[in-house]
Amino acid sequence: MSVYYEKFTRHARGEGIKGATTHYCPGCGHGLAHNYLAETIEALDIQDRTVLISPVGCSVFMYYYMDVGNTQAAHGRAPAVAIGHKVANPDAVVICYQGDGDLASIGLAEIIQTAQLGLPITVIFVNNGTYAMTGGQLAPTTPMGMATATSPDGRDRLMGEPLKVAEMIAQMDGPIYVERVALFDNKQRNRAKKAIRKAIRLQTEKRGFAFVEVLSECPTHLRMSSDEAQEWIKEKMLPIFPLGVKKDLVVEPWFDMDLPNFDPQALVDQLGTAEEELPRFSDHFPAHIDTDDISVKMAGAGGDGAQTAAMLLTRAAINESFDATHIPSYGPQSRGGTSYADVHIARTEVLSPAAPDPHILIAFNSPSLMKFAPAVRPGGIVIYDSSVITEVPELDSNVQCFGVPMTEIARSLGNIMVKNIVALGALQSVTELFPPGTFLTAIRSALSEKCALIPLNEAAFEKGRQFLEALTH
Amino acid sequence: MPKLKERPKPVITPELCKGCGRCIDACPKHCFTMGEMINPLSGLIPAKVDLNACNGCGLCFDACPEPYALERWIEDALAVELEMAEVKPAAENAPPVIPTTRKPLPTAQPLILKGTYASAVGALLAGCRHFFGYPITPSTEGAELMAKLLPDLDGVFVQAVSEVATVNMIYGCGGAGRPAMTFTSSPGFSLMLEGISYMIGAEVPGVFVNIMRGGPGLGNIAPEQSDIKLACRGLGHGNTHAIALAPSSPQEMLDLTMLAFELSFKYRNPVVVLGDGYLGQITGKVNLPETMVAPGIPRWAVYGDAQHRDNLICSIMLSEEALEAHNTYLNRKYRAMIEHEQRAETYYCDDADVLLIAANTPARMAKGAVESLRRQGVRAGLFRPITLWPFPIDLLTPLLEDVQEIVVVEASNGQLEDELRLALSKAHVIDLPLIENVRHFGGILPQQDEIVEKVLNYRVWAS
Repeated sequence: MSVYYEKFTRHARGEGIKGATTHYCPGCGHGLAHNYLAETIEALDIQDRTVLISPVGCSVFMYYYMDVGNTQAAHGRAPAVAIGHKVANPDAVVICYQGDGDLASIGLAEIIQTAQLGLPITVIFVNNGTYAMTGGQLAPTTPMGMATATSPDGRDRLMGEPLKVAEMIAQMDGPIYVERVALFDNKQRNRAKKAIRKAIRLQTEKRGFAFVEVLSECPTHLRMSSDEAQEWIKEKMLPIFPLGVKKDLVVEPWFDMDLPNFDPQALVDQLGTAEEELPRFSDHFPAHIDTDDISVKMAGAGGDGAQTAAMLLTRAAINESFDATHIPSYGPQSRGGTSYADVHIARTEVLSPAAPDPHILIAFNSPSLMKFAPAVRPGGIVIYDSSVITEVPELDSNVQCFGVPMTEIARSLGNIMVKNIVALGALQSVTELFPPGTFLTAIRSALSEKCALIPLNEAAFEKGRQFLEALTH
Repeated sequence: MPKLKERPKPVITPELCKGCGRCIDACPKHCFTMGEMINPLSGLIPAKVDLNACNGCGLCFDACPEPYALERWIEDALAVELEMAEVKPAAENAPPVIPTTRKPLPTAQPLILKGTYASAVGALLAGCRHFFGYPITPSTEGAELMAKLLPDLDGVFVQAVSEVATVNMIYGCGGAGRPAMTFTSSPGFSLMLEGISYMIGAEVPGVFVNIMRGGPGLGNIAPEQSDIKLACRGLGHGNTHAIALAPSSPQEMLDLTMLAFELSFKYRNPVVVLGDGYLGQITGKVNLPETMVAPGIPRWAVYGDAQHRDNLICSIMLSEEALEAHNTYLNRKYRAMIEHEQRAETYYCDDADVLLIAANTPARMAKGAVESLRRQGVRAGLFRPITLWPFPIDLLTPLLEDVQEIVVVEASNGQLEDELRLALSKAHVIDLPLIENVRHFGGILPQQDEIVEKVLNYRVWAS
């Protein structure tokens, strides 16, 4: 069979008879499953594009034998590795070969996800009812009552019932073909061959996930001859693991993936970068607030728009060619809690991005004002929403404090969502951080895909400015 | 059904037959019997076959577990020879390298991005079109951006069932030669370590961006530098190392993620990008590079085509000699990384007698402290490791001559200081300056003022 290497050079360097024999014990079912797989790969003419994932367990050394692309996986993870291979090269025929300890115990999560994902991947699941590689311990598939190295008095209720994997996989929506087969006589072997053939053919036809469970003899750990082991499978395993097709859906070929796109223009388009610079309005750093680094805190309840306002301010400053950063308070990503944002605007480089003692505070609700206003630096500025905040804490006499009915103004414009833009208008007016054009450009740019909202936001900004101007002049 | 003379009949190669007897059971004509003699080569008793009654049904071939124990003998071989000749598709010659190229990027205005987004964009620019991940705060936004952008670039986003599955998907995809990545945070990174060890053993590239958060256990989701120890000393079991990059701004999140992919393929080894929770969330200005990468398929990959059929991705070395040789080889690779990949930023280090050492976000606070100290006449400098492993000791030691005090500033329990001390020790720096520290954890970051105070207090004491 040409899918086997002519000489097994990975098996003890191919020296002596190891170059032509497997590492399996006499009578082991793995060899048969290997043969059927090799025959299938040859018959379907897919040797060049087959990627075989060897598991951990007795079949860990499958890559010794099969002349195909080979990857050896960590215990139980072969189906995850298979997903990686399949999406890396959709034309590859990816075959996962796993034992019952590997697949039905440590690797349950991976096989369930991969089966349910339903990509055209083929899994050959060899169930011999024991951990053979490690010396015959209890497997998830060991029959009740059977003594193993870790169930010396026989499997009992405390060890759980044997796991019927084929049935479990078949009841999921992802797989299209699931069959359980055996190897104990000519008829079963013929069925096993056909099942493996079909499971891989379905993959080459891009139809979907296919799974074949093979009841396999482990004469060594059963301490039996191979014909006794065959009998044992028939008598002990079949009542628990009935043979047959568990699922066989007829689906049209669907799996069609393009190769990755490395076109630079496509990438830049995706990033939504502007081709041209935005206009600038400021010719100097607002050193009247701080010579090098201005910090602003915006705080409110989730949904007040503090983060959006902070982001707009950051964008505005960066567009004026200063360095700026925005860092949100981040909690579990649930709504409704407090939300505050720290912004820094620096002449050359923002150092610490946090604003524990800001130059400027914008507070959208009372708890925010109470919490953060006392930390505002001497000479600093506090702007708060006087529509919802009635009480102002005692502040340093050097701190200027301005109440702006942000919510009311926004409501009068027809949308309370823009109260944060009202706040930015007020901020511009009282601090003259940047000219109005700087803010308006940032707002328009942010709304470039929702142009209809631009007039509303412009009006909100202007109303905020006007209110403050009326207050201060 | 072919004619009798054209059907293959079994001939036993005695030394390859293990004597399991499956053929005896399978043969309807009872051609097989168990032998009596132990084969001197195999030490086993092979079966015997008498072909007098054989009708070439072939059931024995399906029953024999050994690939080469039963030879197929065809009486009229010539008749089937022509047919057989076409069957074996020969592997082509050595896999050609499908080269990696760089393509010029159209000029574009700088982006304003948060750190995780910048890292995701860096990955796309590096040619990563395969993302595998599991949502975990504070790293999720990076994954979300990949989920949004990858489909339109014919890339693949898979949300794995766990971090354990994630790393193994990267193992498969990276093993196929494709640049693959994930975003994760500390508890998720812990879960990936086994897989990272496999990747290192099997020499599979892949990039892990870990936005570190507070620990141990569930800890919290606030920024910490909690995984420096894991990234530098604890990448799973066995003799493992990987380059660990520590950005400190959104711009570096992009630049160093790009670099991570380059180094990952250069050394066929995973690369870890360690950011802290703050860095993941901070938004700032990010310039795009002039070129992007269109990755090829490397020679060694198990891509699943004729050119790569001979390849194997595997970390198993059964013989003691082979595994020692493999580790010796890995050590050479690690030495090459140590020699060629140390990176650091120095800030006012030339004449410094007080050196602050910090990485990630704490380095920004430390930089502020340097400026403040300089204004007060203290000759302070900042040494910021960009590679946490290899620690940039070769760049540090020449700066130490006048240094009387080192202050390690970190958002962890001394994990960075441990790396520093180990590097100093290995570099045989005997005459150590005083090493002090400013440490916080749990999400509290060292602040500029306390760093300044620490330095000034020492100077008062020293004078």
